Amino acid sequence: MASRAPISLDQGAAATSSARRQLLYEAISGGTGLLLAVFMWGHVVLVGSILTGERGFDWLATMLEDYYIAQPTVIAVFALFLVHAVFASRKIPSQLRDRKRILKLAKGLNRSGREKVATRTEHSPFRPHVESLLWIWQVRTGMVLLVLGSFHLVLLGLDIFTPLFGDLAGIESSSSMARVSAGLWLPYAVLLLCVEFHASVGLYRLAVKWGADLWMSRATMHRVEQLIFWVVLGLGTLTLVVLAGWMEPPLAFLLDGAAP
Amino acid sequence: MTQPATARRLKFEIFRFNPEDENSEPHIDSFEIDETPFMSLYIALNRIREVHDPGLQFDFACRSAICGSCGMMVNGRPALACRTLTSDLPEDIQLYPLPAFKLIGDLSVDTGTWFRGMAERTEAWIHERQPFDPEAEEERMSDDIAAAIYEGDRCIECGCCVASCGVANLDPEFLAGAGLNRVARFMMDPRDQRSDAEWFEVVAGDEGVFGCVGMMACADVCPKELPLLEVYAYLRRKTLGARFMARNTKKKSA
Repeated sequence: MASRAPISLDQGAAATSSARRQLLYEAISGGTGLLLAVFMWGHVVLVGSILTGERGFDWLATMLEDYYIAQPTVIAVFALFLVHAVFASRKIPSQLRDRKRILKLAKGLNRSGREKVATRTEHSPFRPHVESLLWIWQVRTGMVLLVLGSFHLVLLGLDIFTPLFGDLAGIESSSSMARVSAGLWLPYAVLLLCVEFHASVGLYRLAVKWGADLWMSRATMHRVEQLIFWVVLGLGTLTLVVLAGWMEPPLAFLLDGAAP
Repeated sequence: MTQPATARRLKFEIFRFNPEDENSEPHIDSFEIDETPFMSLYIALNRIREVHDPGLQFDFACRSAICGSCGMMVNGRPALACRTLTSDLPEDIQLYPLPAFKLIGDLSVDTGTWFRGMAERTEAWIHERQPFDPEAEEERMSDDIAAAIYEGDRCIECGCCVASCGVANLDPEFLAGAGLNRVARFMMDPRDQRSDAEWFEVVAGDEGVFGCVGMMACADVCPKELPLLEVYAYLRRKTLGARFMARNTKKKSA
């Protein structure tokens, strides 16, 4: 290491273009992550329209398709998804040996300071630390998302662009519910858990990375992250349960007076 | 002071290996000692060396968290032995040398080579462009900037942040918390006349702030509780700003 030349001042164009690339990659992975997380919240709310019953869901789906909002969105999200996968994964160690090393380190950091010690003083230097392990879980959920997310995007792309499911090209509550209750609920439950974890932890990390001292304290950011995670996960789970047909739509009364 | 009735028997598991000795194999040695009031790991290790094994290697100098030489892995987390009270730990205590540094023997590591390499690569000294004028009055500095620089200078180079960093553990070139804290300290210093463009290469290069994946361990283990996450965020924003500025200047001059 000591034999390496200084990286600053006059290494010229090579160093600068490499530095610019690093900034660009970081901006792309963070930016696409932010967009995808924001999209996911909107997505969960939109699919949540099933809570008002099949009529509400179908009205919304038809509207989004008639005005050509759904079609370009599917393509754009798929593109963002792939770009995010490429640029966010550039930091994952490729060697299993390296991953094991990070895992061991993260587990040790996560465990330390949590032991029950009767004699512990208030001056203990062992502040709780979970974020290293959260990063590893983000990598793991990211891998799951790459598989299940691709599957979901292809499935919904086919549903929107082709008459493969249901009577017409487009999303319908009847074919969606049939699919989910037939067994698709299981991969969707895994997908939901992974996507909400990955997105909320990712946003927390993004906020700390760029604005640790700006908007709010890190502790507050962490609490906001956990709140977002549980609220969106709860809404998503409820939606999934209704889609699987295990529960009547709880908000159906909202459309009672609406014209058919 | 009399021994409290609940005095514990501490069980230490300590990593042993002497790279200098051909016959030495990495292994764990167990030692037991009685806990005494206000016992730090520094006191405990000296006790073990006194009572059990005079050959146990570990570093210390100041015993007051200033010299930064007694960093070690304490139950999986980097910490200063002198600043860690055994009363904050369970009875079973595992001690390993800091990872990411060259092992000297047992719990002793060479942090000096890493820190020297870091300082040389980032040229961690004031870059003055004007020739020195002994007659001139010293330039004034605002209290806020002086305080911010002092905050960064509190780093004792113990290497705990480096050892806790997943990236630094895999990439010996990564500047890690201590390195980027040092860079930020000179960036803030008005006496250092390196331009934003020059800093850009140091900060945003392969081993700079964008090598960080955001595991945040550095800030959580830092014995001096330096605001490392704030430093990282400052560097990220500065870098982004410098890039935009460079682009605008280019457009204007074109």
